[in-house]
Amino acid sequence: MAHVVELSVVPPPLPSSWSPPKPSGKSISPLVSRRLLPAGPAFLAHVRRVVHDLSFEEHDKHLQEEKKRLAELNGEGVIVDDLGVGDEDETEELLSLDPKEWKKQDHYAVLGLSHLRYKANDAQIKIAHRKKVLKHHPDKKAGTAGDSNDDAFFKCIQKAHEVLTNPERRRQFDSVDPYYSLLEDDIPTSSQITKAKDPSKAFFRGFGPVFEREARFSKVVPKEGGVPMLGGVDDSKEKVEGFYDFWYNFDSWRSFEYLDKEVNEGSDNRDDKRYTEKKNKTERARRKKEDIARLRSIVDLTLSLDPRIKRIKEEEKAAREAKKKGKLNSASGTATPNAKEDEEKKKAEEAKKKEEEELAKAEAKKAKAAAANARKKARRAERATDGP
Amino acid sequence: MAANGAIPNGSADAPIDVSGSPNVVGINFGNSYASIAVLTKEGLSECIANEDGERQIACAISFHGEEIYIGNQAKPQLIKNGHNTIVGFRNLLGKKFSELPKDKPSASALIIQHPDLPDTPAYKVHVLQPAPKPLPPTTSNVNTPSASAMATPRSEPTPAERILTVSEVTTIFLKSLIKSAEDFLGKKVTGAVVSVPAWFDDAQRAALAKAAEDAEFHVLQLLEDSGAIAVTTAYGATPAELSDDRTQLVVDVGQSSLELALLSIRQGLAYSLATSTDFSVGGEQIDDKLIKFFAKDFTKKSKVPLVVCPAKHTDKRAEAKLRLAVEHTKRTLAASPGAATCSVESLKDGFDYTGTINRLRFDMEMKPIYEQIATKVRELVESASLDLYDVDEIVYVGGSASFPGLDDYLGQAFHEGIVTPFTTGTVIGGGVGDPTTILARGCALQAKLLASIGTGEEESKVRQAFEVESEWTKVKATTKTIGILFPEENSDGGLGGQWIPTILMETPLPCRRVHTFEVDLGEGDSKKVGFEVWEVKEGVKIEKVIPPKEEDDPEEVKEDAGDPEEDDDAEEELDVKEKTVEKETFLQSLSLEAKEATKVNGRWKTKLEVQFLVGGDGGLEISAWEIGKDGRGEKTSVSVSA
Repeated sequence: MAHVVELSVVPPPLPSSWSPPKPSGKSISPLVSRRLLPAGPAFLAHVRRVVHDLSFEEHDKHLQEEKKRLAELNGEGVIVDDLGVGDEDETEELLSLDPKEWKKQDHYAVLGLSHLRYKANDAQIKIAHRKKVLKHHPDKKAGTAGDSNDDAFFKCIQKAHEVLTNPERRRQFDSVDPYYSLLEDDIPTSSQITKAKDPSKAFFRGFGPVFEREARFSKVVPKEGGVPMLGGVDDSKEKVEGFYDFWYNFDSWRSFEYLDKEVNEGSDNRDDKRYTEKKNKTERARRKKEDIARLRSIVDLTLSLDPRIKRIKEEEKAAREAKKKGKLNSASGTATPNAKEDEEKKKAEEAKKKEEEELAKAEAKKAKAAAANARKKARRAERATDGP
Repeated sequence: MAANGAIPNGSADAPIDVSGSPNVVGINFGNSYASIAVLTKEGLSECIANEDGERQIACAISFHGEEIYIGNQAKPQLIKNGHNTIVGFRNLLGKKFSELPKDKPSASALIIQHPDLPDTPAYKVHVLQPAPKPLPPTTSNVNTPSASAMATPRSEPTPAERILTVSEVTTIFLKSLIKSAEDFLGKKVTGAVVSVPAWFDDAQRAALAKAAEDAEFHVLQLLEDSGAIAVTTAYGATPAELSDDRTQLVVDVGQSSLELALLSIRQGLAYSLATSTDFSVGGEQIDDKLIKFFAKDFTKKSKVPLVVCPAKHTDKRAEAKLRLAVEHTKRTLAASPGAATCSVESLKDGFDYTGTINRLRFDMEMKPIYEQIATKVRELVESASLDLYDVDEIVYVGGSASFPGLDDYLGQAFHEGIVTPFTTGTVIGGGVGDPTTILARGCALQAKLLASIGTGEEESKVRQAFEVESEWTKVKATTKTIGILFPEENSDGGLGGQWIPTILMETPLPCRRVHTFEVDLGEGDSKKVGFEVWEVKEGVKIEKVIPPKEEDDPEEVKEDAGDPEEDDDAEEELDVKEKTVEKETFLQSLSLEAKEATKVNGRWKTKLEVQFLVGGDGGLEISAWEIGKDGRGEKTSVSVSA
């Protein structure tokens, strides 16, 4: 663009008597010939204008295009995508974290990824880490007021990066992510749902997020549609059954190594170490078991409160009744009696089966008791012979 | 886990990598010193040090036995091995043997007529030829060498004579410079811009180009020194004290000559108004004065007579030693305000010497040289029919121009607002104005510019423009300053209003100048803007003023003490200069209604942008428009035919 010179002078207002004088018709003084020094960008621009016979405006346009082209070549035009990470606010609390207590820190919050958490991909973690390092590197702080050796937060950043870039360690951390641990207990009780104005709405609002949260632990992710979610009120029977089927057979990758107690670094006592390890192992197993039970109880609770189950049952019932009614209404027709017969047959079979089972059970019980009696007797006899 | 929640959200791939700076360098090839500049990652140029850590690389080559010393290492050889040491070869490039002055005494290798080539100067040096390789062992029986018909070769190097033309010497030297640059960059240098003095004729330029070609690098351009200066000073943002249109005085005090140039710089376009070269002033004269000073001091301290400049035969070596030592003293003086030492071991008759000199003393010693430079500057400016007051900026070039004393002395003659690298504080610390590196940096920037021009057919004409004596460098320039005058009521005398110069004299055409400023429209409702376009005559008014009796400056008394004639100077009339502007030719007028005016403190104001466009033939078009909230307003134009 044209180079604009800004002047700070302010010309005064025109005198009232002034009117633009007629042009004198004179032209500017005769020109002189000079020889330019062939140097500098200004000379190049001058030559381009003269050689290609361009006016100033045309040359401006040309230059702008050239600039754009160069910028594109240099990749300057490409906006560097920061993947929308690393710009979260840093609270005072976060900045005063102690790197020694790194196990307690929220690694996602440290890297400014708390809006993404387990959803953050590797590229995002990398960029977030780079941004944070640029901001908090001790070299940046040298010379500023305060303790320039204060690299505590930088250490926290490095630790967070270390944890989150290692898939195994990240999985362990994700298992006990403090953000979700807080939410974990946030499960609606049955009374909350049933006493709500609109129980069905309260149900979906209460349990929807719970399953969304828990879904992340699933080892298997069905190809179609991902982990089945709670869904909506009008879901079909298949869908609802599929949901409960999936969640009753839920296979979780959640593990609790992250909460292990550290083996006392100072002691090289092997027994000490083994003891801690053993304890950790049992603790992990206990936690895992608890977690499975917890999830199961959630699913149980959901099932018991699910308005869709009720609806499906009612529908089935209605269907049956409709059928019944239809059969009654239409006296003729061979299919319905047959169906009825079938049903009765089935019922009878079931009853029979049940009976058989019970019988078998009773027999087994009897046999067991008999065996026990026999053993008792044998022992007594033994004692009698061994005795005096 | 990642598969579950990973949201594809762009990629972390690095942007396309296109290396920003081409592998080009700038070389300042002086007669006594050379320097190399490369481009940094940021696109700026930077003077680099060679492998000896020297930014100012002495143009010297010395042969010692089987060894060749190039650069600053070769300089000490002048003392003991002078006849095998070659200095000052650049100025001999492209010259015939018969053209050279014969009477110049020198401590370096003698210039002889080349034995084979007609009328060509050459250097004869004594070297040792490396011993030939021993004969390969005979294969038949290794243990007992059989008798051979051949004589056993010598196992020691043999003394030999080597004849080197000036071109060959230059090639060796340039090769070493390029090697230093390549070592620094870690890449092959694809091209270089080499500086040449303005007085180099075609034969000399051709000889230099040939030498560069032999040194196996591509010369992008042989750039005149003043061109390199213009590039460096016009690069980047203009300092606040300066305008884009300015007159620049280049003072190049080299080791062997003084070169002056008066440049007209108009928005980066530069041409020289006048140049002059004087081989009788330079670093050598400064050296001579310093050497004399220290020799006197030595004689005083050690009672050993030492006469130098010119030196007796017996004192030649002492002089050479001192000449080497004062180099360091000069650099110290230029760099720091304190006293600088000069020490030489066993200067004469086994006596060591250590002496100091401070800036004040140094400036006193150098006064005749400063005066000579000042006279030359005055002559130069006069030859361009300008006044010293018309110079806006002084740029210093060369190691010997780094003395603040010189700037102080020269600066007195100019107006107070004169901008020099010393007033802006860019001399030391690798600043923009560093006289020792400014040429090389300018060359590097020029090399970058040339490397950016495309290689296509349509750009070939543009490329040609950078060649020597290209027709595209011919240009017409204005001779009078054109500007706008806002008439004012009740203005007493002068021009009768607010004068804004837009196109200065000596502006190459075609040109365009755009100025914006606020205009006061008064309190009334007639929001009319109008101005007249005039051509003016600029001059400098000199008034003779008898100064009031001065309080004697203690320092001045001390300085004047040695020179009784100067005492009555103070009572003489002093010239007080003032820039004047006189209306000469009325060209046009322009008026428009202000529509975008706003009321500030009860007065109407508007922002006006005025564009002056002068075609190559001298036709002038003046346009004006208001700058409102939403950009440019309606355009009003008038024109003046050529």
